[in-house]
Amino acid sequence: MLEVLKPGLETSVQDYPGRIGFWNQGFPPSGPMDSWSFRLANVLVGNQPGDAGLECQYMGPTLKFNRNTVIALTGADMAAKLDGKPVPLWQSVAVSAGQVLEMGPARAGTRCYIAIAGGIATDPWLGSRSTFHQAGVGGMNGSALKAGHIVPVAAGTGMAGRTVKQSARPPIRTDKRWDIEVCAGPNDDWIDEEGQLRFLSADWKLSSKSNRTGFRLDGPQWTFAPKATNKPPEHGSLPSNIIDHGYPLGAINLAGQTPIILVNDGPSMGGFINPYTVPSAAFWKLGQSKPGEIYNFKQISVSEAQAMARAMKATCSESSII
Amino acid sequence: MATEVRTQTAGNMWKVLVKPGDAVRTGDTLFIMEVMKMEVAHEAPVDGTVTAVHVAEGAEGLDAEDLVVEIR
Repeated sequence: MLEVLKPGLETSVQDYPGRIGFWNQGFPPSGPMDSWSFRLANVLVGNQPGDAGLECQYMGPTLKFNRNTVIALTGADMAAKLDGKPVPLWQSVAVSAGQVLEMGPARAGTRCYIAIAGGIATDPWLGSRSTFHQAGVGGMNGSALKAGHIVPVAAGTGMAGRTVKQSARPPIRTDKRWDIEVCAGPNDDWIDEEGQLRFLSADWKLSSKSNRTGFRLDGPQWTFAPKATNKPPEHGSLPSNIIDHGYPLGAINLAGQTPIILVNDGPSMGGFINPYTVPSAAFWKLGQSKPGEIYNFKQISVSEAQAMARAMKATCSESSII
Repeated sequence: MATEVRTQTAGNMWKVLVKPGDAVRTGDTLFIMEVMKMEVAHEAPVDGTVTAVHVAEGAEGLDAEDLVVEIR
């Protein structure tokens, strides 16, 4: 068990791959935005890669451990200290009962993951412990961590002193620029050729109005194919309006002229087009970027996106540990 | 010795509530950042007078630990 002394900005229980199978009823998968770092944290402490852990965003929490255990921190650097002593990232560390883990603001990267031997043992809901706080389900009674919460942790022995190989860690950018893979579609044919080229060559700036529901981007105006401007009235008045349809996870959803990437806690349907889709294997970059940073999109095929996801899964295993 | 108040998170500067010369008391809100559609208020850690404000309202893309307000 661990006790929350300070909750951080919005620290939540997540597991991987999250709440799968309920998208058609409006429930998103939730889960860690950077599942690469998340899974490696679990592997470090000897858990299954998908076991429940904590996602810390922007400002980390302060936690007190109530029994001896092993933890691992991965992802963003939040200058974590255990009883005042710096805790290395990408390593499993032994913790004694009564010790306090204090984390600060994120420096390199944005989201830090904490795995605890045995995994967090809150009650699952629809098969997952992931927090979806907009519906008030999963995690700690459906919410992010709050001061005073006692977070249950399953029994587990864990292994301290293990490290993730440098080559197996996600290359978190510190130069404020990110190359993000996208697959075309489902509605790329609603954008004219000029608009498609513009999307793939422009700088897109991440807005601070971005959270686990959507990542809002600022950039140039979009231009449309005749399909978008000359259509039956039931589609709606804007070129980006379409008869309500299902949204893919990772959709770059065009709300008027504003693209919003629909991420882990995103909506499952609506009436805007989705010209491009960010594949799941590129989500970790979204999760580690900050407002004001620049995205450049690079188009890949669906089979390339699937190969990226398979390669990431292979990386998130014992083979990456030394 | 001036007390420095720095950003606790990356994000945008939503509101700056003080200007040089203002008297502040411990716990007064100095500025509010916006990140993940949330307001993150930053409070004065000491009583004193604001001697400098280094970030303007509306500034985007701030990092954590950027210097914003000095109090003496």
